[in-house]
Amino acid sequence: MIITKNLQKTFGDHHVLRGIDQHIKKGEKVVIIGPSGSGKSTFLRCLNLLEEPTGGEVIFEGTTITDPACDINRLRQQMGMVFQQFNLFPHKTVLENITLAPIKVKGMAADEANVLAGKLLERVGLPEKADVYPGQLSGGQQQRIAIARALAMNPKVMLFDEPTSALDPEMVGEVLELMKELAEEGMTMVVVTHEMGFAREVATRVLFIDEGVVKEENTPEEFFANPKNDRLKDFLSKVL
Amino acid sequence: MSADVYFMKGSDLMEWLNTLYTSFYNALIPEKRYLAYISGVKITLMVALFAVFLGVLIGILVAVVKVSAKSSKNPVIKPLAAFCNFYTTVIRGTPLIVQIMIIYNLIFTARDSNEIIIGTVCFGINSGAYVSEIIRAGIESVARGQTEAGRSLGFTHIQTMRYIILPQAIKNILPALGNEFIVLVKETSVISVIAVNDLTKMASFIGSRTWDILPPYIIAAAIYLLITMCLTSVLGYFERRMSQGDHH
Repeated sequence: MIITKNLQKTFGDHHVLRGIDQHIKKGEKVVIIGPSGSGKSTFLRCLNLLEEPTGGEVIFEGTTITDPACDINRLRQQMGMVFQQFNLFPHKTVLENITLAPIKVKGMAADEANVLAGKLLERVGLPEKADVYPGQLSGGQQQRIAIARALAMNPKVMLFDEPTSALDPEMVGEVLELMKELAEEGMTMVVVTHEMGFAREVATRVLFIDEGVVKEENTPEEFFANPKNDRLKDFLSKVL
Repeated sequence: MSADVYFMKGSDLMEWLNTLYTSFYNALIPEKRYLAYISGVKITLMVALFAVFLGVLIGILVAVVKVSAKSSKNPVIKPLAAFCNFYTTVIRGTPLIVQIMIIYNLIFTARDSNEIIIGTVCFGINSGAYVSEIIRAGIESVARGQTEAGRSLGFTHIQTMRYIILPQAIKNILPALGNEFIVLVKETSVISVIAVNDLTKMASFIGSRTWDILPPYIIAAAIYLLITMCLTSVLGYFERRMSQGDHH
């Protein structure tokens, strides 16, 4: 579904990604872990070109999206993204947050979009919040709405950029629970997180990114039970 | 008026007040001169109002181009941004009255042009440069994550601006825009140099008719003050209402 070939990214003199080759297949749940500043978020953000790679290729469903001629706006509709800081639109109600893109980008009728948003709000367990503004919600609720907003575009893959890192500890569970349900329904997911429990339980494959390269990748069982890379062993000994 | 005014006897005071009354009476009542002030006020307000609209329109375009130029690779946008920079630099770096003489003689060579249009264009072009800086600051005050959220959902750059960034930016800058309108109401007095019959021009007409120049200008000043005080209180009301909206 998503293929990256020798993906590179530099910010000025800072070489953040030093060549990442990955093939993320349909239905996979890839969890990316690694120390801060390792490039894991940058890698994720390169997948939908929120960060422009400085070298290499990203291919989504056979289309080379790093090609300047590619219509990235169309492809981004098929890749939902959830951010650490939620990034809900504060001037719109919860309902409008969810319906804005389907109406304006896809040209969906307002009635149809409202019905869709109603279903999504049921699904994330917040049907009674349709008419409130994001500022009135807790962090966990905002993140669940952000997930609903991304799902409203009916994406083929969901990218999660540290979705629980900005949450109070007691709200982490509700968001992870929702992500787990999404995974069970067969959604293709790429998740950057520090939640090792989630990685162990949900991932089909875990990547360890450090210094801009994938240092180790494996099934979660092997990854956590038999880490081979020294840096990964060190990292796991500190976080587990 | 000599210093002994302060020590005058009652009869002198009466006489002085009488003269004062007469000169203000002459500046207001004969030949229905009060109507001249009213028509002047109308033109002043119309010019200020339309100029603010034109200024905001120009300001939004210039601000969006300048902000977009930072990230966009569109080949048109760089030269456009260079032109916008030139525009704001020139307008903000030259005196308003000189700009008006230039714009007037450049565009309105036909002398029977509509004065409201003349005023609107002159002040719109001038105001646009200042408004664009206000709006640019407003756009940059909206968190970067908002743009990323919009783009990640498939919005184009322009759609993201229109539906997500500008509505939030406008809310932040409405007080500054209101101030710009108040400033414009006062600055439009400069337009009398190109024969537009605004409030200031009317005062000067009446002064030349009555041979007493001070009273009509004092009346005009009082009217300007009244307008700006009204606008300030209206603005204050909206600001208070909007800050309440922030307590979501």
